[in-house]
Amino acid sequence: MSSCKKDQSNYDYKDHEKITVTGIESSYTLISELESLNLKPEVTSTDPNANFEYLWGIYETNVQGSVPVLDTLAKTKNLNYLIKQAAKGWVLVYRVTNKNTGYSQYINVPVNVVTEFTRGWYVAKDDGTDTDLDLFLTPTSIVPTGKRENVYSSINGSKLPGQANLLSFLTGYKSTVTGVLGNTRTLALSTDKDMATVNVNTLKKIYTLDNIMFDTPPVKGPCYTFLGSGAYYLINGGNIHSIVNNSPNIGKFGGRFLRDASNNPYQLSKYFMSNNSGNAYLYDETSSSFFAIGSGYGTALSSISDVTGTAMSATNTNQKVLFMGIKSATYLPSPALRYTFAGCAVFQDKTNPSNKTVSHVEMDLFTMKFTNTSLTSADKLYNAAHITMPFGQENILYFSIGGNQVWSRNLSNNFEKLEYTVPAGEEITFIRHKNGTEVNYAYNYIMVGSKINGTYKIRMFNKSSGSITGNPIVTLEGTGAAKDVLYISPSVSEFTHNIQW
Amino acid sequence: MRKLLYILLVIAVAAVTSCKQDQYYLFNDVGRVQFGPEPNRIYTTSYDLADTLKPYTFYYEDPSVVQDTIFFDIYAIGGTKDADRTFSLEQEQIPNAVNAVAGTHYVGFGDQKVNKFYVIKKGTVHTRVPIIVLRDASLKNSTPKLKFRIVANADFQLGEQNKLWRKIEITDRLSQPAQWNASFTQYYFGKYSVVKHSFLINSSGEKWDNDFITNMYAVGGLLSYYQLTMKTALINYNNAHPGAPLVDEFGEVVVFP
Repeated sequence: MSSCKKDQSNYDYKDHEKITVTGIESSYTLISELESLNLKPEVTSTDPNANFEYLWGIYETNVQGSVPVLDTLAKTKNLNYLIKQAAKGWVLVYRVTNKNTGYSQYINVPVNVVTEFTRGWYVAKDDGTDTDLDLFLTPTSIVPTGKRENVYSSINGSKLPGQANLLSFLTGYKSTVTGVLGNTRTLALSTDKDMATVNVNTLKKIYTLDNIMFDTPPVKGPCYTFLGSGAYYLINGGNIHSIVNNSPNIGKFGGRFLRDASNNPYQLSKYFMSNNSGNAYLYDETSSSFFAIGSGYGTALSSISDVTGTAMSATNTNQKVLFMGIKSATYLPSPALRYTFAGCAVFQDKTNPSNKTVSHVEMDLFTMKFTNTSLTSADKLYNAAHITMPFGQENILYFSIGGNQVWSRNLSNNFEKLEYTVPAGEEITFIRHKNGTEVNYAYNYIMVGSKINGTYKIRMFNKSSGSITGNPIVTLEGTGAAKDVLYISPSVSEFTHNIQW
Repeated sequence: MRKLLYILLVIAVAAVTSCKQDQYYLFNDVGRVQFGPEPNRIYTTSYDLADTLKPYTFYYEDPSVVQDTIFFDIYAIGGTKDADRTFSLEQEQIPNAVNAVAGTHYVGFGDQKVNKFYVIKKGTVHTRVPIIVLRDASLKNSTPKLKFRIVANADFQLGEQNKLWRKIEITDRLSQPAQWNASFTQYYFGKYSVVKHSFLINSSGEKWDNDFITNMYAVGGLLSYYQLTMKTALINYNNAHPGAPLVDEFGEVVVFP
């Protein structure tokens, strides 16, 4: 029987064919509806009798809820195609097939489709009544060369009510701006009276507080929008709502979380400690207690348990939170397989307001541990106004005092240092630290916003060993009072910046 | 010898079991007819027994509405034909239950108003069976059941045994929607009661009928929204009635999981 078996062995000992394609860059960045892909590749093969056929296609990246489809652009050797795709990441595919052998060579090239709005420094500012966005254009480097003032109102017809708060960036936010429900690169602009999600490709608003929930909220603002693990959060009027981004959603925030099974009232602080890798930690000013939410799920805030050795309980602290923020996230290996957070909080005693404390805070699941250091009136931090904590950097706080001075406090040794004084007449409106690693656009800046005579300045300084070095590398100027600033580019995702005060 | 006996025993068992008739019918069998799920679900085995029971209530309808139509999907197997083929239905009495009465609670299967639609059109294998339910005054305080089954006729033999019947529960009171199923109970709103159902309707201003529940599943995040807001509404109700929490018709305190 075995002798009857047909011999299907391959006795072709020729080398594998090699098709070589040159003349295609490793990536392209193009402005939608304006620039074209003009490609004239050279194609050769080790098969001297090669007879090629060609196919150009493109598919989108960062797709959720559907399988990316290759859209055929051309079946010619060269490509001349006006980019019409939405501003986001795409992959250009060039397939060359030798019809003689059936062998194909695929070339995949990332294509960043952008608009004039997809790269630059965005400034959230207000005129005391309403909020707008300024965009500083950065076509060649992190230092801007042009400016578009009031881009939010010029595109949407009106400013956003209220004074500006936080500016956040969400890249997994769901909307139907392209006609199909999908991830949308979205700016979340929060004010003390409203909030708006804004498609960063067009700067058209998607929702405001009037329609971003399934019902109309009884109060409007103050609003703070930020990212959690698999979730987005919105604090509105001291109550918190979530979008569980790990589950199907349409970009609308859910109902108001309960504080407990009795629906006792609560009023969340504007400060939060939240990150894409763990729980969101919140502070209720009514009960003077910390709470947490995991991944946006649930119907009630989760209570916090105390850890042995904590300097104070997380519940009924009798403290007012003057600031809190995350310093770092640490991954615990198996069997834990989760992140823990470390951060810092500045407290003021409710009974004796002259008692202030700076606290090192450790957070793991639904526990918190506080290590407190008392502040005296001799400490500059004691009188701090605007405070910020850099994420993933030195163990340090930056803060303003007296309206014009920027100080740092090394939290490892409590050393305080005057970092910068804004020119006379200017008043500091915010301090932030942000950094980015994009090639040709890398930065690691301490940012100081100030206002004078109805105009703002945002000075961005290099940081060395925790301190400001030299003069500002970037200075943004415009009308109004600036409250936050964010750098956006096609490579920036919601994980790039840790959104906090 | 013993080994031989074992072998013979195995062969005997195999011979007996192999004689069992296959319960499934082939596509080229004689014409048969049986109920099934909606056409887009026919290849999803978990939906094989979907729609066997359809509760219906006139509760949400305007008083001027005196009848309504409920549809079931029915399928011919054994291929298509070049001529229309009729199928026949009859009521099956359910022991120890309030059975629906033809002419009172529904239009009887022999009535031309409905049986003219009991046709599988030529070249097709599917149609929707209309059952007309009637709003009798008795439905205000009872929920009669209408169980009906396919009867073999000249055009069709019977299909698979467990797909030959369907059931409707007819009432003019608030009743458990079909979409308030085991999953909805376990994961979202808990055990059904008329009191809970009324509370949801009054608290939300929504119907909480099949269409509403289906839409909650379809719109991402909406189900969670209602879970949270209805739980909040229940807490607020119980807070406003200290010592007298909302209790359902079974005497149990209403809860949302």
